[in-house]
Amino acid sequence: MANVLDLRRRIRSVKNTRQITKAMKMVSAAKLRRAQERALQARPYAQMLSNVLESLVRRTDLYNEATGEIMHPLLVEREEKSVLLVVIAGDKGFAGGFNSNIGKAAQKFIDERVKLGQNVDLESVGKKAIGFYKKKYAAANYERTEEHYDNDLSTHFETIRHRAQQVEVTGEHTDFLVKTEFEAVSKLSHSIIERYERAEIDAVYLVYNEFKSVISQRIVVEKLLPIRKLGSHEITASEVLSDEQREAAAKAATSEGISVNEPEETQIEKEAKKFGTAEVDYIFDQAPERLFRHLMPRYVTTQIFHALLESVASEHAARMTATDAATKNAGDLIDSLSLTMNRVRQAAITKEIIEIVSGAAAL
Amino acid sequence: MPVPVSGLGDMAEGGNNSGVLQVRLVTPERVLLDATADAVELPSMSGYLEALYGHAPLLAELGAGEVRLHGGSSADQKFFVAWGFVEVLPERVTILAETAMHPDEINLGKAEDLLKQAEKTYAEAGDNQAMYDEANTLMRQADEMIASAQGKSL
Repeated sequence: MANVLDLRRRIRSVKNTRQITKAMKMVSAAKLRRAQERALQARPYAQMLSNVLESLVRRTDLYNEATGEIMHPLLVEREEKSVLLVVIAGDKGFAGGFNSNIGKAAQKFIDERVKLGQNVDLESVGKKAIGFYKKKYAAANYERTEEHYDNDLSTHFETIRHRAQQVEVTGEHTDFLVKTEFEAVSKLSHSIIERYERAEIDAVYLVYNEFKSVISQRIVVEKLLPIRKLGSHEITASEVLSDEQREAAAKAATSEGISVNEPEETQIEKEAKKFGTAEVDYIFDQAPERLFRHLMPRYVTTQIFHALLESVASEHAARMTATDAATKNAGDLIDSLSLTMNRVRQAAITKEIIEIVSGAAAL
Repeated sequence: MPVPVSGLGDMAEGGNNSGVLQVRLVTPERVLLDATADAVELPSMSGYLEALYGHAPLLAELGAGEVRLHGGSSADQKFFVAWGFVEVLPERVTILAETAMHPDEINLGKAEDLLKQAEKTYAEAGDNQAMYDEANTLMRQADEMIASAQGKSL
């Protein structure tokens, strides 16, 4: 059996660990609170934007009457030969199964598609996803050609994709998660839209952690493009938390004073729902078709932005739960070590007494 | 003060008859402003327009420029917006803006970078109409941004 000194040393070290995980939990709780707030504040804009689009759809012809062609490229549905998957993971570990669950869901999607003979492009968000896919799959190879025609001074650019493998990584993004800014997300969505319009990809999916509240999260695979129905999330696969996980999350949240319920709708959110839907004939400053064209890409950006904000909130919630469990485990370990230590000490004392007593008796 | 057209003022739920506009400025990140005003100037794509209480329902796309509020609890605030969208109802104006900030928050260096970038895009556009359009939009945005920061916006 170990001696008292060793045990005392171990207890001290576990105590230190507990201190660290406790601090990490508090930090995650604070970050979660902020992330939740941000996700909430972003809602009115998303709501209003999809409202305006919906009301515009009623006023514009989506199909060309003569040819039956769809008027906007983002509504065009093609057979899915190449699909893009945007994987939203986290920057750091220590968040329980957060990153690995996302990885599993993404891998399942990739494997299914590869089996169907489709090409899969990957756009990884977060250091964990980047590191994982960099090792596993090759980067996509783009070539930008320049051409000069006769009698024409200007240069013509064209982007050509050389596909070598069935699964390739087309982009990596690190700057989205720490400070999610609309402008940066807008760049990504523009690049995705451009690829979609060029028919380099035929569909776009997002895999991320959806966040409703601390105890209600799920990993979803959401179809981003083509847009089939405005204002709704087209979920193709999802995985919810187990009861056990939910209980752990609820416990971690209550100890930090975070509500486990879904936040209530604010007055502004209620009014946002009515935006652009008043039963009146609006005067349109510009032609509805034109507005529609300008709004569509922004709608896509908002969807990605939304997914990112929710994923960040989920990540902090997962880290809070994981570090809370770690703190608890450290506590249990300290208890059991203290018990052993006391036993060892007591055994030593008993032994000494026996020695003294038997020594006295021998006299 | 404009007289509200009969009936229009009560049309939306929770509408007020106080003769002041409820103005909201919403960005993707948050609700930036929630105040009342007597009048709002808006940089629509086809030029500035001003909404007063009782304005007929209108939907318009906003270009780069300044949103200016007058009277009410708005304290005559100004906001630079880069792209946006506005719904005007008789007693309420809601502005959706992709980028919105106070003129004194504008980073002049950044605006000038944007201008340079736009000029570069323009020079490289060749026969690509979409690139010209993009360059023009960016240029207008940069110009407006600089003008707004210097308090010279039209």
